[in-house]
Amino acid sequence: MIPGREAIRDFYDTYYAALDDGDLAAWPGLFTSECIYRVIPRENFEAGRTLSTMQAESRGMLMDRVAGLTSTQVYAPRYYRRFPGPLRLSIHEHGVACRHNLLMVQTLQDRQSDIVLVADCRDILVLDEGCVRLRERIVIFDSEMVPNSLIFPA
Amino acid sequence: MDGSPSTPPAFHPAFHRASHRAWPPGAAVPYWVYSDPDVYAAEIERIWYGPHWLYVGLEAEIPAVGDYKTTTLGERPVIMTRSDADTVNVVENRCAHRGVKFCQARFGNAPELLCPYHQWMYDLTGALKAVPFRRGVRRQGGMPADFDMAAHGLNALRTTVQNGVVWATFHPDTPPFREYLGERFWAHYCRVYSGRPLEVIGYNRQHIPGNWKLMQENIKDPYHAGLLHVFFVTFGLFRADQKSAVEMDEHGRHGILISRKGEQVANDVTAGMANFKADFTLHDPRILDVVQEFPGEETVGMITVFPSVILQQQVNSLTTRQIIPKGPGGFDFVWTHFGYADDTPEMRLRRTRQANLFGPSGYVSMDDGEVIEMSQQGFGHSPDQAALVEMGGRDVGNTDHMVTETAIRGMYRYWRQVMGV
Repeated sequence: MIPGREAIRDFYDTYYAALDDGDLAAWPGLFTSECIYRVIPRENFEAGRTLSTMQAESRGMLMDRVAGLTSTQVYAPRYYRRFPGPLRLSIHEHGVACRHNLLMVQTLQDRQSDIVLVADCRDILVLDEGCVRLRERIVIFDSEMVPNSLIFPA
Repeated sequence: MDGSPSTPPAFHPAFHRASHRAWPPGAAVPYWVYSDPDVYAAEIERIWYGPHWLYVGLEAEIPAVGDYKTTTLGERPVIMTRSDADTVNVVENRCAHRGVKFCQARFGNAPELLCPYHQWMYDLTGALKAVPFRRGVRRQGGMPADFDMAAHGLNALRTTVQNGVVWATFHPDTPPFREYLGERFWAHYCRVYSGRPLEVIGYNRQHIPGNWKLMQENIKDPYHAGLLHVFFVTFGLFRADQKSAVEMDEHGRHGILISRKGEQVANDVTAGMANFKADFTLHDPRILDVVQEFPGEETVGMITVFPSVILQQQVNSLTTRQIIPKGPGGFDFVWTHFGYADDTPEMRLRRTRQANLFGPSGYVSMDDGEVIEMSQQGFGHSPDQAALVEMGGRDVGNTDHMVTETAIRGMYRYWRQVMGV
């Protein structure tokens, strides 16, 4: 069984709505328990390297990332809003591969909005316990000179 | 309004800035050092183009003959090239003809350096080799008969390769690199840069909207590390109660923070921290799967080489963090994450994993970038006020603890000498 087109569209609506709404607690559950998550500069990806700006190798590491953001890290308050482009779906040996562009805009208090990330997302989605989940998500960003911090996940 | 006033009005920017350039008494750093454009311009000349070695890159970034990398030293674009197996050159990325920054790629390989505007061609050491139509076309035009090819190469910097790291300087009087570091710091340097071949594992780049010196100060300030970085403290990677040391070179310009990993325990030290999380545990603790790979018991060695770079060893995460000043209110910060060419796949994975602590999304480094931005916001418009740096006393000297700002005081003692302030 692989997820269908409509289920995948619904999944991304849920995924991006959760992050835009700041519902970080819901985010790890959208991945399989064993998973790969990378937000990686394009130069590293194209050189065949895996060193990432954010990386997780399990749902547990995603939960740790959320815990860091909510309880240990210091950063100025801001909003992120994500603008995904059209989804390009193809069959993958483990499920469905989905490639799409992502624009992420940040708004800090009393400042004009600016672009924090311009990226190409390469995802692999599977059916897991009856739900569509991400088994892999590689967010390859062109915007390598990060405007100070990349706080929240893509 | 009739004619010009005979003296500049009080609101003239230069007048306003100059009136504040007094050094306060005691252990304090006046805020004009971080915001005054005239001070910044003088720093570029006296510090960045002065008698100091600047970090350019790792030799491992250009392993083959013809490989090059572009970067910026101070405010000037440069190219690091390998012209033969044993020779690394650093030349300014500015065509001798019309000043074009002709090399635009970050990395590449080429047999020579070619400016696309008029196709002036240089060899990999920067020597001018070809000028199209130098003798004219059909006896018309051409360069003057006395045009001297040898006098119009790219500006080649004094360059040295030290155990895999490439350094360059614009100034003729810069002492040899080992002397520049001093013997004590040469020993610290050789702990990670021992001559064992290095391997780049990736990059992070960020623009931090704060004065470049704040990054040097951040790594010379262990006082903040045990307080701001709750993640570090919680998991015992850096705590104020660990056996530690702060050392400087004889000038006070370079610094090192040395420490050793402890445990996640609550005690009188953590009781003084507003944010300590005694019950915080990781769902997947592989990020803390650290191994002791260097001699001795120290697990942290953070070296600040004035003015251009931080050499990081924090457990198994090794990086160079290059500072590229961009005006008084900001700098680019380039992280080169590396390991050793003979690392096992497990060690490479470990270093990649631990990189989650660092860079623009790092569990600890994010705090630093944010706090530097907040610092510039706070004092950027108060040049007549000053920062207090009295923790651990008012003097400059090595310590065997972390509760001190002595290395910041040391840097400014040197800074004032160089700047004539």
